[in-house]
Amino acid sequence: MPSVTFEHVTKRFGDATVIEDFDLQVADGELLVLVGGSGSGKSTILRMLAGLETVTSGRIRIDDRDVTDLAPRDRDVAMVFQDYGLYPHMTVRDNLSLGLRLRKIPRHEIDRRVAWAAGMLGLEPLLDRKPKALSGGQRQRVAMGRAMVREPKVFLFDEPLSNLDAGLRAQMRIEIGSLQDRLKTTTVYVTHDQVEAMTLGDRIVVLADGRIQQIGRPIELYRTPVNRFVAGFIGTPAMNFIEGTLAADGGRMFFSAEAARLKMRAGTAESSEPITLGIRPEDLRMDFIPQQPTHGSADFDTLTGRVVLVERLGGTSHVHFQVGPHRLMASVASDSLPEVGHDITAHVPAARVHLFGGDGRAIGRTAEIV
Amino acid sequence: MRAEQKTASLMAGPYAAFLLVFAVYPIAFALVLVFLQWDLVTAPTFAGADNIRLLVHDGRFWSAVANTFVFLSIHVPLQIITALALALALNRQLVGRSFWRAAFFLPVVISGAVVAILWSNLYATDVGLINHLLVKIGLSPVPWLTDPRTAMPAIAVMVTWKNVGFYVIIYLAGLQYIPRSCQEAIEIEGASAWQRFRYLTLPSLLPQTILVVTLSTINGFQLFIEPYVMTGGGPLRRTYSVVLYLYNNAFAYQKMGYAATIGVALALIIGIVVFAQRRLIGKAEAL
Repeated sequence: MPSVTFEHVTKRFGDATVIEDFDLQVADGELLVLVGGSGSGKSTILRMLAGLETVTSGRIRIDDRDVTDLAPRDRDVAMVFQDYGLYPHMTVRDNLSLGLRLRKIPRHEIDRRVAWAAGMLGLEPLLDRKPKALSGGQRQRVAMGRAMVREPKVFLFDEPLSNLDAGLRAQMRIEIGSLQDRLKTTTVYVTHDQVEAMTLGDRIVVLADGRIQQIGRPIELYRTPVNRFVAGFIGTPAMNFIEGTLAADGGRMFFSAEAARLKMRAGTAESSEPITLGIRPEDLRMDFIPQQPTHGSADFDTLTGRVVLVERLGGTSHVHFQVGPHRLMASVASDSLPEVGHDITAHVPAARVHLFGGDGRAIGRTAEIV
Repeated sequence: MRAEQKTASLMAGPYAAFLLVFAVYPIAFALVLVFLQWDLVTAPTFAGADNIRLLVHDGRFWSAVANTFVFLSIHVPLQIITALALALALNRQLVGRSFWRAAFFLPVVISGAVVAILWSNLYATDVGLINHLLVKIGLSPVPWLTDPRTAMPAIAVMVTWKNVGFYVIIYLAGLQYIPRSCQEAIEIEGASAWQRFRYLTLPSLLPQTILVVTLSTINGFQLFIEPYVMTGGGPLRRTYSVVLYLYNNAFAYQKMGYAATIGVALALIIGIVVFAQRRLIGKAEAL
């Protein structure tokens, strides 16, 4: 039985439809990440599940209980907020225990759970401090501890790491992941950061404009995005796109754009509509000596361009180059790098190419690369 | 740097002059007057510690202090409760919220004498609106301002009404400062409306409450216009406040030295009471 179920959930604010006909099932013990840009509706979905927003139509279930019309306190969920939502006038200990005291849990049980959460999160030395005497990371841990001691059916995380600096964010990301691994509590996690989504999620839901774009395991979204939005959103650095057309020539499909002609996989269907070709920066292989002819090799699996920018990140570097009117980027090892202004050749493996039709949907998808 | 200092002195100048003339000078003058006898007409004479000795043994002064404490014991708690309740109500999504906020603030800017005359009419034993309503629901009329037991409480209620709008604004500011995530967190954690108030709203408003207690106490010690206009200090001197006594000594009995002594004593009492309040509330916060 799924732990959380959304059935045809729609949410309107006045005339604006924020979420439309949303269906989702979260498995028991799963960590599901809702990811999308601002205005995608991800936080609204989480807040509807928490009971902080009403549902315009549709039902929400936790286990087999319909919670659509229940107050937040009756849903058996615990939430971690972006700005933590700690009670500023209370010590860490009181912050952790208040929810249990409100629910009339026996004193010894409260003490046990607070000690357990504090131990797991390394909060013991901080129990008698107030939130203002804690660092951002410590506050984040207290907020998580407050959710843990409740032992709820579902954890809700609303962009919990957005207020932390990059280093701390990476560390807390690992902690949340390993914590969820041990607790096995169903978790719905909202973020705009696709790296967080990729590293944390058992499954990811990519949202745009209140609609699900794709649901899947992180690697599925990375390897077989169903549309151009998901392709561009998932993966860092972002996928390169080239606009062009498909045409058959001598029994093979070719993708043609200005200054580019590439041979497609066997079995690629013909299409008369405009096509967008996508290739991830890490899938491009680079040669520093341009081959002849200028528009790719005889095998038509290369692009030739001129380097315009090299970003050295340490182990890898980002080489930006111009192919006719198209600005592309390759992610390559830093051992040997071209200079700005040099001509280079980028190999485009046909198996790694993504094609999207005029409506943005992936076409000619092949299952073998999954 | 020198030019900056010059600009600074120029800008601070007018206010410094104002402060000097209307605060520093009168305070210094009052401190001098404590040791003088002066009827405003003849030249002042040195009185040594006479005024202080008189004050210590002056039953009327101490009964005025007691009256003022009676006033405060009703006014301050009532002010906190009404201001907080109104602020909570006005903080909700309410039809005509701006109108209600303005309406409750209006009495603050109305002249105290006008309010006192208005409420004298409301409190009037035979023709007052309040007694009219009491009779309508079958109760007997109350001589609000002429019964020694009800006169001071009646004045306290009126002063609370006049000032409530000011304290509502302080509480409203405090309410808007409580993070939304805290309110949502406590809701998810299982708190009822009362528990949310008890565990989040009320403790979050502690700084505002300290301010309301301090300001309404200082304000309350200066009770003057209301008894002056409404009761003249009666009945049986029960509404005779310290400042009314000070005023009468200065301008009815023309004892400027003694009036100044009362003023300095009042300032000391206010200082001690406010200091004690802060200590008490500070201890409550640490709990």
